[in-house]
Amino acid sequence: MTDINTTLPGQERYVAPLEETPLQTVDTVDESAPATSMWSDAWRTLRRNPLFIISAILIVFIIFVALFPGVFTKTDPNYCTLDDSLEPARPGHPFGFDMQGCDVYARVIYGTRTSLSVGILSTLIVVAVGTLIGAIAGFCGGWIDAVLSRIVDIFMAIPMLLGAIVVLQMFRTVTSIWKVVLVLALFGWVSTARIARGAVLSSKNLEFNTASTALGSTPMRNLFRHILPNSLAPIIVIATTSLGSYIVSEATLSFLGIGLPSTTVSWGGDISNAQSILRTDPMVLFYPSVALAVTVLAFIMMGDAVKDALDPKSRTA
Amino acid sequence: MKKKVMAIAAGVCTLGMLLSGCGGSGSTASAGNVITAFNSEPQNALIPGDTNETGGGKVGQLLFANLVRYDSKGETKMEVADSIEPNKDATQYTIKLKDGWKFTDGTPVTAESFTKSWSYTANAKNAQKCSSFFSSIKGYDKLQDADSLKGDEQLEGLKVQDDKTFTVDLNSPNSVFPIMVGYLAFAPLPESFYKDPKAFGEKPVGNGMYKLDKWDHNSQIVLTKNGDYKGEDKPKNDGVTFKIYTDTDAAYADVQAGNLDVMDTVPASATKTFESDSKVEAYNKAGSVIQTFTIPAGLKHWETSTEEGQLRRQALSMAINRENIVSKVLNGVGTPATDFIAPVIPGYSDDLKGSDNLKYNESKAKELWAKADAISKYDGKLTFSFNADGGAKPIYDAIVNSVKNTLGIDVATNPMPTFQEFRDAVSQRKIEGAFRTGWQPDYPSPENYLYQLYDSDAADGHGSNDGDYKNAEVDELLSKAASSPSADEQNKLYQQAEEILLEQLPAIPLYYSNANGVAAKGIKNFEMDWQNQPIYENLSK
Repeated sequence: MTDINTTLPGQERYVAPLEETPLQTVDTVDESAPATSMWSDAWRTLRRNPLFIISAILIVFIIFVALFPGVFTKTDPNYCTLDDSLEPARPGHPFGFDMQGCDVYARVIYGTRTSLSVGILSTLIVVAVGTLIGAIAGFCGGWIDAVLSRIVDIFMAIPMLLGAIVVLQMFRTVTSIWKVVLVLALFGWVSTARIARGAVLSSKNLEFNTASTALGSTPMRNLFRHILPNSLAPIIVIATTSLGSYIVSEATLSFLGIGLPSTTVSWGGDISNAQSILRTDPMVLFYPSVALAVTVLAFIMMGDAVKDALDPKSRTA
Repeated sequence: MKKKVMAIAAGVCTLGMLLSGCGGSGSTASAGNVITAFNSEPQNALIPGDTNETGGGKVGQLLFANLVRYDSKGETKMEVADSIEPNKDATQYTIKLKDGWKFTDGTPVTAESFTKSWSYTANAKNAQKCSSFFSSIKGYDKLQDADSLKGDEQLEGLKVQDDKTFTVDLNSPNSVFPIMVGYLAFAPLPESFYKDPKAFGEKPVGNGMYKLDKWDHNSQIVLTKNGDYKGEDKPKNDGVTFKIYTDTDAAYADVQAGNLDVMDTVPASATKTFESDSKVEAYNKAGSVIQTFTIPAGLKHWETSTEEGQLRRQALSMAINRENIVSKVLNGVGTPATDFIAPVIPGYSDDLKGSDNLKYNESKAKELWAKADAISKYDGKLTFSFNADGGAKPIYDAIVNSVKNTLGIDVATNPMPTFQEFRDAVSQRKIEGAFRTGWQPDYPSPENYLYQLYDSDAADGHGSNDGDYKNAEVDELLSKAASSPSADEQNKLYQQAEEILLEQLPAIPLYYSNANGVAAKGIKNFEMDWQNQPIYENLSK
């Protein structure tokens, strides 16, 4: 019998001594490094995402245009004279003129402010209202949740654009942009509310919450100090993406003639006016459309990048 | 019977008829001096009193001769009637017919041919679409309860004196009755009609310039010259064949190819090009429709009765560059207005005193505005209301820009979504600013424009004086004109009234909508009348 412990020739195994392996360095935690939160992690990811960099540059530029249109053009977007009707581009008027003889470039520049303010204001209201209602529903549970969730379901069943058209028809005489902002918020808060409710539900029974309760926190303190901050990520994602869609909705409503009054320079209104001359003078329609598309694209790309950073699990590629 | 031009859907039975469109396209080529013309399939059988759309109206007008006829200039001429004499207050008319008029079946045209026809159309039992045309005749109300009628009751206001004479009693004085009887609905009908109206509608027998040869439904309607026609203006061709099209683009292509001679509309795809199209003969001239906007006569700072208001109205009018709007916004399918009627209407003039107020004049506008401001400072905002569903937005955008640039005042558009909503706001006098107005005449007379729109009788909801303009002098001139016997005299009085209107501008005329159409190359005398229709009888090859 051969001793099974005997190593036969050719069967020797080499085991490296511990000090020669790199395992230790791999597993070592640098204890001198500062602690990182979810937010700083996300920020690190974002910084390296080219999608984010491009969209951030675009958005900063768009905001700058909206704040200081005078830097880009000295022409009054509301000065239109038929003498210039459909005139081609000439020095000082790089995009030419529309049918009414208004400077297309100036109108594209000044339209930025309208689109952006509608988008940002609608998003702010939507986030505030949606988060509040969603959080209350998720946190309180019980009949409050049941009632709020059904209300959300009811609003969900109304297509936003259709609802907006119906409501705006009733307030045609109001000429402020708040009318459009409020209508978009009225039909937009529900998706945010749903997401906020889901996020609150999933984090309300986590350990830190129980620990905080054990330390004597009131439920409200728990909600605002611990649960909400930990539920913010998905809300921020949906807010960034929907900002783009609010801008589109505003343009759509203005295009349909029930959005902003025609005295307000807006891309949607200009696109609407240009459609009748699309066949003969397509460039009049082209410029505001491109501005609209680029702006919306920037916000949607930003939303995408933020989503990747805050929620790595949902990353598709 | 009157209606606003802006309502494309016209009221019941007016000569400016509903445009219809159905049928298939015909294809046979024409021969000899026969004109082929574009048409849509008539909606109903070809019975004069039951035709209220252009498809049938165009054909009917060539088949029947009425008491009077509107010539190419819109002047009313005696046709079958020898004379139409009013009594003192224009409540009764005595009508004498000419001798020798016959229907194409050989039966003579008598006083009864008219009275029975009119009674038939007015009688509710017969459910004719143009029944309301006869509402001014005595006894009309008694024929409106269809259930208790047999269908052959006669209007009691019509009395036959003898074979060639009858009298008409009206409910109220009406000086335009002799013009109204030129409507197709007032056509005479032969005895054969009453035996079988249905068969008659398929193959009508008339007394007009042409007779119906055959009607191939959805394909063509063939008319040949009526040799027995007694009127003064004889047709210059041997016949008119209406080809039925459903698609104006196809018809336009046929005109280009020489397969169709004349077309009284231009498809949207060709509106920019038809005038320069070398394959067709284009027609694009002012029609009878006038487009205006009205500022309520009592609007603060804009009163028609004060010097300040008049100055402001004149300044506003001079601040609008009509030439530019017509050429750049309308692509030339309109003509800048120079008066309150239209170029195809008798009595039109482009150099009335005050017509300068309708011409763009920047410096004068500013000067007048400053004068008005010296009387009372203006710090309001003027809005222009219009219906957004009719394509008026670019026009009013241009007006607002023009006024803003010239006068530097606060003006804005106020679009209302639908025509109905807009008209409701106008008739309830809810609009505190300028609003869109326009007019399509029912018959070619200045009276139809001026009395309906600017007489005190038509104000306060009793008519179409939507601005509630009241001026005793205008009223007097209009009523004088209505009762004056000669056309020249009438037109002079109407022009005097217009000169006051040009000074006070209760409404501000903008432009006349053009009538446009195309004819094949080589077609002679292609012209359109006040109804925006080709004068078919004058066409020849």
